[in-house]
Amino acid sequence: MEKRRGRFQVKAEATRREASSHMTLRAVRWWGLSLGAVGVALTIVFHWQVFFWVPTEASMGIVQRIFYIHLPGAWVAFLAFGIVALCSAVYLWLGEEKLDHAALAAAEGGMVFTTIVLVSGPLWARLAWGTWWTWEPRLTLTLLLWFIYLGYFLVRNSTQNRDRGRKFAAVVGIVGALNIPLIHMSVLWFRSLHPQPVVARTDGPQLHPDMATTVFTALGAWTLVFLSLFILRYGTARLEARAERTSVDMGDPLSAEQGAVTS
Amino acid sequence: MRGYLRQVWTIAWKDLRVELRTWERLAAMGAFVVLAAVLFNYAMDRGIVHPREIAAGLIWVTIVLAGLMGLARTFELEKEDGAMEGLLVAPVPRDALYLGKVLSNSILLGGVVLLTVAVFALFFQVALPSNPLPLMAVLALGTVGFVALGTLFSGITAGSRMGGSLLPVLLFPLLVPLVTFGSASTAHLLAGFPPGESAYSLRVLTAFTLVALTAGVVLFRFIVED
Repeated sequence: MEKRRGRFQVKAEATRREASSHMTLRAVRWWGLSLGAVGVALTIVFHWQVFFWVPTEASMGIVQRIFYIHLPGAWVAFLAFGIVALCSAVYLWLGEEKLDHAALAAAEGGMVFTTIVLVSGPLWARLAWGTWWTWEPRLTLTLLLWFIYLGYFLVRNSTQNRDRGRKFAAVVGIVGALNIPLIHMSVLWFRSLHPQPVVARTDGPQLHPDMATTVFTALGAWTLVFLSLFILRYGTARLEARAERTSVDMGDPLSAEQGAVTS
Repeated sequence: MRGYLRQVWTIAWKDLRVELRTWERLAAMGAFVVLAAVLFNYAMDRGIVHPREIAAGLIWVTIVLAGLMGLARTFELEKEDGAMEGLLVAPVPRDALYLGKVLSNSILLGGVVLLTVAVFALFFQVALPSNPLPLMAVLALGTVGFVALGTLFSGITAGSRMGGSLLPVLLFPLLVPLVTFGSASTAHLLAGFPPGESAYSLRVLTAFTLVALTAGVVLFRFIVED
Protein backbone atom coordinates (compact mmCIF):
# COMPACT_ATOMS: atom_id res chain seq x y z
CA MET A 1 0.00 0.00 0.00
CA GLU A 2 2.76 2.32 1.02
CA LYS A 3 4.62 1.42 -2.13
CA ARG A 4 1.58 2.12 -4.29
CA ARG A 5 1.08 5.57 -2.91
CA GLY A 6 4.73 6.27 -3.53
CA ARG A 7 4.41 5.30 -7.13
CA PHE A 8 1.25 7.34 -7.50
CA GLN A 9 2.92 10.40 -6.05
CA VAL A 10 5.80 10.03 -8.44
CA LYS A 11 3.38 9.82 -11.32
CA ALA A 12 1.42 12.84 -10.13
CA GLU A 13 4.58 14.84 -9.84
CA ALA A 14 5.64 13.84 -13.34
CA THR A 15 2.26 14.96 -14.66
CA ARG A 16 2.56 18.24 -12.81
CA ARG A 17 6.04 18.80 -14.16
CA GLU A 18 4.82 18.02 -17.64
CA ALA A 19 1.95 20.49 -17.19
CA SER A 20 4.20 23.26 -15.98
CA SER A 21 6.61 22.68 -18.84
CA HIS A 22 3.57 22.82 -21.13
CA MET A 23 2.79 26.23 -19.69
CA THR A 24 6.30 27.50 -20.31
CA LEU A 25 6.17 26.19 -23.85
CA ARG A 26 2.95 28.08 -24.41
CA ALA A 27 4.59 31.23 -23.06
CA VAL A 28 7.58 30.55 -25.30
CA ARG A 29 5.35 30.32 -28.35
CA TRP A 30 3.41 33.46 -27.44
CA TRP A 31 6.48 35.61 -26.72
CA GLY A 32 8.45 34.22 -29.63
CA LEU A 33 5.70 34.89 -32.15
CA SER A 34 4.68 38.31 -30.85
CA LEU A 35 8.23 39.63 -30.55
CA GLY A 36 8.87 38.20 -34.01
CA ALA A 37 5.81 39.97 -35.44
CA VAL A 38 6.90 43.34 -34.02
CA GLY A 39 10.47 42.70 -35.13
CA VAL A 40 9.49 41.85 -38.71
CA ALA A 41 7.16 44.87 -38.87
CA LEU A 42 9.97 47.14 -37.67
CA THR A 43 12.34 45.49 -40.17
CA ILE A 44 9.96 46.45 -42.97
CA VAL A 45 9.73 49.99 -41.55
CA PHE A 46 13.48 50.44 -41.36
CA HIS A 47 14.00 49.10 -44.86
CA TRP A 48 11.46 51.64 -46.08
CA GLN A 49 13.40 54.31 -44.16
CA VAL A 50 16.70 53.14 -45.64
CA PHE A 51 15.46 53.08 -49.22
CA PHE A 52 13.07 56.04 -49.39
CA TRP A 53 13.25 58.26 -46.38
CA VAL A 54 16.66 58.81 -44.81
CA PRO A 55 18.84 61.55 -46.39
CA THR A 56 21.88 60.41 -48.37
CA GLU A 57 25.16 60.88 -46.57
CA ALA A 58 27.21 63.68 -48.17
CA SER A 59 30.72 62.23 -48.48
CA MET A 60 30.08 58.50 -48.95
CA GLY A 61 26.92 58.78 -51.00
CA ILE A 62 24.34 56.06 -51.47
CA VAL A 63 26.65 53.25 -50.29
CA GLN A 64 26.47 54.48 -46.75
CA ARG A 65 22.95 53.06 -46.52
CA ILE A 66 24.40 49.55 -46.10
CA PHE A 67 25.49 50.80 -42.69
CA TYR A 68 21.89 50.58 -41.44
CA ILE A 69 22.00 46.81 -42.03
CA HIS A 70 25.62 46.29 -41.07
CA LEU A 71 25.64 47.98 -37.67
CA PRO A 72 22.51 46.33 -36.17
CA GLY A 73 23.77 42.97 -37.43
CA ALA A 74 27.07 43.48 -35.63
CA TRP A 75 25.33 44.60 -32.44
CA VAL A 76 23.09 41.52 -32.41
CA ALA A 77 26.03 39.21 -33.20
CA PHE A 78 27.90 40.44 -30.14
CA LEU A 79 24.76 40.39 -27.99
CA ALA A 80 24.25 36.76 -29.00
CA PHE A 81 27.83 35.87 -28.17
CA GLY A 82 27.42 37.44 -24.75
CA ILE A 83 24.30 35.35 -24.12
CA VAL A 84 26.13 32.18 -25.27
CA ALA A 85 28.98 32.85 -22.84
CA LEU A 86 26.69 33.75 -19.94
CA CYS A 87 24.36 30.77 -20.40
CA SER A 88 27.34 28.44 -20.90
CA ALA A 89 29.00 29.61 -17.69
CA VAL A 90 25.83 29.21 -15.62
CA TYR A 91 25.19 25.86 -17.32
CA LEU A 92 28.56 24.52 -16.21
CA TRP A 93 27.94 25.90 -12.76
CA LEU A 94 24.40 24.57 -12.19
CA GLY A 95 24.20 21.79 -14.75
CA GLU A 96 20.69 22.81 -15.87
CA GLU A 97 19.92 21.44 -19.31
CA LYS A 98 17.70 24.46 -20.04
CA LEU A 99 20.66 26.81 -19.94
CA ASP A 100 22.50 24.76 -22.51
CA HIS A 101 19.45 24.94 -24.76
CA ALA A 102 19.43 28.71 -24.33
CA ALA A 103 23.13 28.90 -25.23
CA LEU A 104 22.52 26.80 -28.33
CA ALA A 105 19.59 28.99 -29.39
CA ALA A 106 21.68 32.16 -28.96
CA ALA A 107 24.61 30.65 -30.88
CA GLU A 108 22.42 29.74 -33.85
CA GLY A 109 20.86 33.21 -33.91
CA GLY A 110 24.30 34.77 -33.53
CA MET A 111 25.63 32.78 -36.47
CA VAL A 112 22.87 34.21 -38.70
CA PHE A 113 23.64 37.82 -37.79
CA THR A 114 27.42 37.32 -37.93
CA THR A 115 26.92 36.06 -41.48
CA ILE A 116 24.87 39.19 -42.30
CA VAL A 117 27.76 41.36 -41.06
CA LEU A 118 30.28 39.36 -43.06
CA VAL A 119 28.24 39.74 -46.24
CA SER A 120 27.31 43.40 -45.88
CA GLY A 121 30.80 44.48 -44.76
CA PRO A 122 32.69 43.44 -47.91
CA LEU A 123 29.87 44.74 -50.13
CA TRP A 124 30.32 48.14 -48.56
CA ALA A 125 34.10 47.90 -48.60
CA ARG A 126 34.11 47.13 -52.33
CA LEU A 127 32.28 50.37 -53.08
CA ALA A 128 33.78 52.60 -50.40
CA TRP A 129 37.37 51.38 -50.26
CA GLY A 130 37.61 49.62 -53.65
CA THR A 131 38.39 46.20 -52.23
CA TRP A 132 36.32 43.25 -51.09
CA TRP A 133 38.45 42.46 -48.12
CA THR A 134 40.70 44.54 -45.91
CA TRP A 135 42.19 43.57 -42.59
CA GLU A 136 39.93 46.07 -41.00
CA PRO A 137 39.75 45.33 -37.26
CA ARG A 138 36.04 44.98 -36.71
CA LEU A 139 35.52 42.99 -39.89
CA THR A 140 38.38 40.66 -38.95
CA LEU A 141 36.97 40.30 -35.46
CA THR A 142 33.60 39.34 -36.92
CA LEU A 143 35.24 36.73 -39.15
CA LEU A 144 36.99 35.20 -36.14
CA LEU A 145 33.73 35.34 -34.20
CA TRP A 146 32.08 33.38 -37.01
CA PHE A 147 34.74 30.69 -36.73
CA ILE A 148 34.44 30.54 -32.95
CA TYR A 149 30.71 29.87 -33.43
CA LEU A 150 31.61 27.22 -36.01
CA GLY A 151 33.90 25.51 -33.49
CA TYR A 152 31.09 25.72 -30.94
CA PHE A 153 28.74 23.76 -33.22
CA LEU A 154 31.38 21.27 -34.38
CA VAL A 155 32.39 20.44 -30.81
CA ARG A 156 28.78 20.08 -29.72
CA ASN A 157 28.05 17.35 -32.21
CA SER A 158 31.37 15.55 -32.11
CA THR A 159 30.90 13.38 -29.03
CA GLN A 160 29.05 10.13 -28.47
CA ASN A 161 27.96 11.22 -25.04
CA ARG A 162 25.73 14.20 -25.65
CA ASP A 163 26.28 15.74 -22.20
CA ARG A 164 30.01 15.81 -22.81
CA GLY A 165 29.48 17.60 -26.11
CA ARG A 166 27.40 20.20 -24.30
CA LYS A 167 30.08 20.76 -21.70
CA PHE A 168 32.77 20.99 -24.38
CA ALA A 169 30.70 23.54 -26.29
CA ALA A 170 30.13 25.55 -23.12
CA VAL A 171 33.88 25.67 -22.48
CA VAL A 172 34.48 26.84 -26.07
CA GLY A 173 31.80 29.52 -25.69
CA ILE A 174 33.31 30.84 -22.46
CA VAL A 175 36.94 30.81 -23.57
CA GLY A 176 35.95 32.44 -26.86
CA ALA A 177 34.21 35.28 -25.06
CA LEU A 178 37.13 35.76 -22.66
CA ASN A 179 39.46 36.15 -25.61
CA ILE A 180 37.31 38.58 -27.57
CA PRO A 181 38.79 41.69 -25.86
CA LEU A 182 42.33 40.52 -26.59
CA ILE A 183 41.50 39.66 -30.18
CA HIS A 184 39.91 43.09 -30.47
CA MET A 185 43.08 44.72 -29.15
CA SER A 186 45.25 42.88 -31.67
CA VAL A 187 43.11 43.59 -34.69
CA LEU A 188 42.87 47.25 -33.65
CA TRP A 189 46.60 47.39 -33.36
CA PHE A 190 46.82 46.93 -37.10
CA ARG A 191 45.81 50.48 -37.95
CA SER A 192 42.13 50.94 -38.49
CA LEU A 193 40.58 51.97 -41.79
CA HIS A 194 37.15 51.61 -40.28
CA PRO A 195 35.08 54.77 -39.89
CA GLN A 196 35.28 55.98 -36.31
CA PRO A 197 32.29 55.23 -34.10
CA VAL A 198 29.45 57.64 -34.82
CA VAL A 199 26.66 56.31 -32.63
CA ALA A 200 28.27 55.16 -29.40
CA ARG A 201 30.04 58.34 -28.37
CA THR A 202 30.15 60.06 -25.04
CA ASP A 203 29.06 63.42 -26.46
CA GLY A 204 25.94 61.95 -28.05
CA PRO A 205 25.37 60.59 -31.55
CA GLN A 206 26.94 62.70 -34.32
CA LEU A 207 24.29 61.85 -36.85
CA HIS A 208 21.60 63.67 -38.71
CA PRO A 209 18.43 63.13 -36.62
CA ASP A 210 16.72 61.19 -39.43
CA MET A 211 19.75 58.91 -39.73
CA ALA A 212 19.75 58.38 -35.99
CA THR A 213 16.06 57.46 -36.13
CA THR A 214 16.74 54.93 -38.88
CA VAL A 215 19.67 53.38 -37.01
CA PHE A 216 17.71 53.03 -33.82
CA THR A 217 14.71 51.57 -35.65
CA ALA A 218 17.03 49.03 -37.25
CA LEU A 219 18.71 48.23 -33.93
CA GLY A 220 15.34 47.69 -32.27
CA ALA A 221 13.98 45.67 -35.19
CA TRP A 222 16.84 43.19 -35.34
CA THR A 223 17.17 42.89 -31.59
CA LEU A 224 13.51 41.86 -31.51
CA VAL A 225 13.92 39.50 -34.47
CA PHE A 226 16.89 37.92 -32.73
CA LEU A 227 15.05 37.58 -29.41
CA SER A 228 12.14 35.97 -31.24
CA LEU A 229 14.41 33.47 -33.02
CA PHE A 230 16.19 32.85 -29.73
CA ILE A 231 12.98 32.13 -27.83
CA LEU A 232 11.47 29.96 -30.57
CA ARG A 233 14.66 27.95 -31.03
CA TYR A 234 14.85 27.50 -27.28
CA GLY A 235 11.29 26.14 -27.33
CA THR A 236 12.18 23.71 -30.12
CA ALA A 237 15.18 22.46 -28.19
CA ARG A 238 12.99 21.88 -25.12
CA LEU A 239 10.46 19.98 -27.24
CA GLU A 240 13.21 17.87 -28.79
CA ALA A 241 14.53 16.96 -25.36
CA ARG A 242 11.05 16.08 -24.18
CA ALA A 243 10.30 13.97 -27.27
CA GLU A 244 13.53 12.11 -26.68
CA ARG A 245 12.68 11.41 -23.06
CA THR A 246 9.20 10.23 -24.02
CA SER A 247 10.43 7.84 -26.68
CA VAL A 248 12.91 6.36 -24.22
CA ASP A 249 10.15 5.99 -21.62
CA MET A 250 7.88 4.28 -24.12
CA GLY A 251 10.57 1.70 -24.68
CA ASP A 252 11.05 2.35 -28.36
CA PRO A 253 13.87 -0.15 -28.96
CA LEU A 254 15.88 2.14 -31.22
CA SER A 255 15.80 5.19 -28.95
CA ALA A 256 16.26 3.05 -25.86
CA GLU A 257 19.40 1.64 -27.38
CA GLN A 258 20.60 5.09 -28.32
CA GLY A 259 19.77 6.31 -24.85
CA ALA A 260 21.88 3.54 -23.39
CA VAL A 261 24.80 4.42 -25.63
CA THR A 262 24.64 8.14 -25.06
CA SER A 263 24.11 8.15 -21.30
CA MET B 1 50.85 24.97 -1.31
CA ARG B 2 54.03 22.93 -1.46
CA GLY B 3 52.01 19.76 -1.59
CA TYR B 4 50.04 21.21 -4.51
CA LEU B 5 53.20 22.10 -6.41
CA ARG B 6 54.51 18.60 -5.76
CA GLN B 7 51.34 17.17 -7.31
CA VAL B 8 51.72 19.41 -10.36
CA TRP B 9 55.34 18.37 -10.74
CA THR B 10 54.48 14.67 -10.30
CA ILE B 11 52.04 14.84 -13.22
CA ALA B 12 54.48 16.81 -15.35
CA TRP B 13 57.37 14.50 -14.52
CA LYS B 14 55.26 11.45 -15.45
CA ASP B 15 54.71 12.94 -18.92
CA LEU B 16 58.31 14.01 -19.29
CA ARG B 17 59.58 10.58 -18.28
CA VAL B 18 57.35 8.91 -20.86
CA GLU B 19 58.72 11.36 -23.42
CA LEU B 20 62.33 10.76 -22.38
CA ARG B 21 61.86 7.03 -22.89
CA THR B 22 60.47 7.27 -26.40
CA TRP B 23 61.39 10.75 -27.70
CA GLU B 24 58.31 10.40 -29.91
CA ARG B 25 56.85 13.85 -29.68
CA LEU B 26 60.13 15.73 -29.55
CA ALA B 27 61.47 13.82 -32.56
CA ALA B 28 58.30 14.47 -34.55
CA MET B 29 58.11 18.16 -33.65
CA GLY B 30 61.84 18.71 -34.13
CA ALA B 31 61.84 17.08 -37.55
CA PHE B 32 58.75 19.10 -38.44
CA VAL B 33 60.47 22.39 -37.57
CA VAL B 34 63.62 21.65 -39.56
CA LEU B 35 61.71 20.36 -42.58
CA ALA B 36 59.26 23.27 -42.50
CA ALA B 37 62.23 25.64 -42.66
CA VAL B 38 63.59 23.69 -45.64
CA LEU B 39 60.21 24.01 -47.38
CA PHE B 40 60.10 27.74 -46.61
CA ASN B 41 63.45 28.07 -48.34
CA TYR B 42 62.15 26.55 -51.55
CA ALA B 43 58.77 28.26 -51.29
CA MET B 44 60.34 31.71 -51.62
CA ASP B 45 61.91 33.51 -54.53
CA ARG B 46 64.93 35.17 -52.99
CA GLY B 47 64.93 37.77 -55.72
CA ILE B 48 61.68 39.10 -54.29
CA VAL B 49 61.88 38.43 -50.58
CA HIS B 50 64.61 37.00 -48.39
CA PRO B 51 63.29 34.64 -45.67
CA ARG B 52 65.24 36.70 -43.13
CA GLU B 53 62.94 39.67 -43.73
CA ILE B 54 59.86 37.75 -42.67
CA ALA B 55 61.64 35.42 -40.24
CA ALA B 56 59.66 36.54 -37.17
CA GLY B 57 56.32 35.68 -38.76
CA LEU B 58 57.60 32.38 -40.14
CA ILE B 59 59.04 31.43 -36.74
CA TRP B 60 55.69 31.99 -35.05
CA VAL B 61 53.70 30.11 -37.68
CA THR B 62 56.17 27.22 -37.42
CA ILE B 63 55.88 27.20 -33.63
CA VAL B 64 52.08 27.22 -33.79
CA LEU B 65 51.94 24.35 -36.30
CA ALA B 66 54.56 22.23 -34.55
CA GLY B 67 52.91 22.92 -31.21
CA LEU B 68 49.54 21.94 -32.61
CA MET B 69 51.00 18.59 -33.61
CA GLY B 70 52.50 18.01 -30.18
CA LEU B 71 49.49 19.25 -28.24
CA ALA B 72 47.10 17.00 -30.12
CA ARG B 73 48.94 14.10 -28.52
CA THR B 74 48.66 15.42 -24.94
CA PHE B 75 45.96 12.95 -23.97
CA GLU B 76 46.64 10.26 -26.57
CA LEU B 77 48.52 7.97 -24.19
CA GLU B 78 45.86 8.40 -21.55
CA LYS B 79 43.16 7.36 -23.99
CA GLU B 80 44.71 3.91 -24.30
CA ASP B 81 44.10 1.16 -21.74
CA GLY B 82 41.87 3.37 -19.59
CA ALA B 83 44.86 5.32 -18.31
CA MET B 84 42.70 8.46 -18.16
CA GLU B 85 40.45 6.82 -15.56
CA GLY B 86 43.55 5.93 -13.59
CA LEU B 87 44.74 9.52 -13.71
CA LEU B 88 41.31 10.83 -12.70
CA VAL B 89 41.03 8.60 -9.63
CA ALA B 90 44.49 9.70 -8.47
CA PRO B 91 44.22 11.90 -5.35
CA VAL B 92 45.08 15.02 -7.33
CA PRO B 93 42.74 17.97 -7.93
CA ARG B 94 41.74 18.48 -11.55
CA ASP B 95 43.47 21.85 -11.77
CA ALA B 96 46.75 20.33 -10.60
CA LEU B 97 46.33 17.74 -13.34
CA TYR B 98 45.80 20.54 -15.87
CA LEU B 99 48.75 22.57 -14.61
CA GLY B 100 50.96 19.48 -14.67
CA LYS B 101 50.04 18.88 -18.29
CA VAL B 102 50.66 22.55 -19.09
CA LEU B 103 54.06 22.35 -17.42
CA SER B 104 55.21 19.25 -19.30
CA ASN B 105 53.84 20.56 -22.61
CA SER B 106 55.53 23.94 -22.03
CA ILE B 107 58.89 22.30 -21.37
CA LEU B 108 58.59 20.18 -24.52
CA LEU B 109 57.37 23.03 -26.71
CA GLY B 110 59.95 25.35 -25.18
CA GLY B 111 62.67 23.04 -26.46
CA VAL B 112 61.06 23.05 -29.91
CA VAL B 113 60.85 26.87 -29.85
CA LEU B 114 64.57 27.16 -29.11
CA LEU B 115 65.28 24.71 -31.92
CA THR B 116 63.10 26.76 -34.29
CA VAL B 117 65.01 29.96 -33.55
CA ALA B 118 68.33 28.14 -33.93
CA VAL B 119 67.25 26.62 -37.25
CA PHE B 120 66.21 30.01 -38.59
CA ALA B 121 69.46 31.57 -37.41
CA LEU B 122 71.40 28.82 -39.15
CA PHE B 123 69.42 28.48 -42.39
CA PHE B 124 68.47 32.08 -43.05
CA GLN B 125 71.26 34.00 -41.29
CA VAL B 126 68.82 35.62 -38.88
CA ALA B 127 70.98 37.71 -36.54
CA LEU B 128 70.07 37.01 -32.93
CA PRO B 129 70.12 40.02 -30.58
CA SER B 130 73.20 40.38 -28.38
CA ASN B 131 71.04 40.48 -25.26
CA PRO B 132 68.83 37.39 -25.65
CA LEU B 133 66.75 37.97 -22.49
CA PRO B 134 63.89 40.07 -23.98
CA LEU B 135 63.51 37.63 -26.88
CA MET B 136 63.54 34.70 -24.46
CA ALA B 137 60.82 36.41 -22.40
CA VAL B 138 58.61 36.91 -25.47
CA LEU B 139 59.09 33.31 -26.62
CA ALA B 140 58.54 31.90 -23.12
CA LEU B 141 55.32 33.87 -22.61
CA GLY B 142 54.11 32.88 -26.05
CA THR B 143 54.87 29.22 -25.39
CA VAL B 144 53.08 29.11 -22.03
CA GLY B 145 50.05 31.04 -23.35
CA PHE B 146 49.76 28.79 -26.37
CA VAL B 147 50.15 25.63 -24.31
CA ALA B 148 47.67 26.84 -21.66
CA LEU B 149 44.95 27.22 -24.29
CA GLY B 150 46.06 24.22 -26.34
CA THR B 151 46.10 21.80 -23.42
CA LEU B 152 42.53 22.76 -22.49
CA PHE B 153 41.32 22.31 -26.05
CA SER B 154 43.26 19.10 -26.64
CA GLY B 155 41.36 17.73 -23.66
CA ILE B 156 38.20 18.55 -25.62
CA THR B 157 39.35 17.08 -28.92
CA ALA B 158 40.62 13.93 -27.19
CA GLY B 159 37.06 13.33 -26.01
CA SER B 160 35.50 14.00 -29.41
CA ARG B 161 35.14 11.87 -32.50
CA MET B 162 36.83 14.45 -34.73
CA GLY B 163 40.05 14.29 -32.76
CA GLY B 164 42.98 16.41 -33.83
CA SER B 165 41.30 17.83 -36.93
CA LEU B 166 39.11 19.92 -34.62
CA LEU B 167 42.01 21.47 -32.73
CA PRO B 168 43.00 24.15 -35.29
CA VAL B 169 39.38 25.25 -35.75
CA LEU B 170 39.05 25.82 -32.02
CA LEU B 171 42.51 27.18 -31.42
CA PHE B 172 43.46 29.40 -34.36
CA PRO B 173 40.84 32.15 -33.92
CA LEU B 174 41.91 32.53 -30.30
CA LEU B 175 45.61 32.56 -31.14
CA VAL B 176 45.34 35.80 -33.10
CA PRO B 177 46.55 37.99 -30.16
CA LEU B 178 49.45 35.64 -29.51
CA VAL B 179 50.65 35.58 -33.11
CA THR B 180 50.08 39.33 -33.60
CA PHE B 181 52.03 40.53 -30.60
CA GLY B 182 54.44 37.61 -30.50
CA SER B 183 55.67 38.06 -34.03
CA ALA B 184 55.59 41.87 -33.84
CA SER B 185 57.84 41.96 -30.79
CA THR B 186 60.05 39.18 -32.18
CA ALA B 187 60.48 41.15 -35.40
CA HIS B 188 61.39 44.29 -33.44
CA LEU B 189 63.89 42.48 -31.25
CA LEU B 190 65.49 40.67 -34.20
CA ALA B 191 65.80 43.99 -36.01
CA GLY B 192 67.70 45.33 -33.02
CA PHE B 193 65.11 47.79 -31.73
CA PRO B 194 65.45 48.66 -28.03
CA PRO B 195 63.48 46.20 -25.86
CA GLY B 196 61.46 49.07 -24.40
CA GLU B 197 59.50 49.25 -27.67
CA SER B 198 58.19 45.74 -27.10
CA ALA B 199 56.85 46.52 -23.63
CA TYR B 200 53.26 46.84 -24.87
CA SER B 201 53.43 43.52 -26.71
CA LEU B 202 54.87 41.85 -23.65
CA ARG B 203 52.02 43.20 -21.53
CA VAL B 204 49.40 41.86 -23.94
CA LEU B 205 51.16 38.49 -24.11
CA THR B 206 51.20 38.36 -20.31
CA ALA B 207 47.49 39.18 -20.19
CA PHE B 208 46.78 36.49 -22.79
CA THR B 209 48.75 33.90 -20.84
CA LEU B 210 47.07 34.76 -17.55
CA VAL B 211 43.58 34.64 -19.09
CA ALA B 212 44.33 31.30 -20.75
CA LEU B 213 45.77 29.78 -17.58
CA THR B 214 42.87 30.99 -15.43
CA ALA B 215 40.31 29.69 -17.92
CA GLY B 216 42.10 26.34 -18.05
CA VAL B 217 42.36 25.99 -14.27
CA VAL B 218 38.68 26.80 -13.80
CA LEU B 219 37.23 24.94 -16.80
CA PHE B 220 39.42 21.84 -17.12
CA ARG B 221 37.38 19.87 -14.58
CA PHE B 222 34.31 20.13 -16.80
CA ILE B 223 35.91 18.50 -19.80
CA VAL B 224 37.45 15.47 -18.09
CA GLU B 225 34.43 14.55 -15.99
CA ASP B 226 31.53 12.60 -17.43
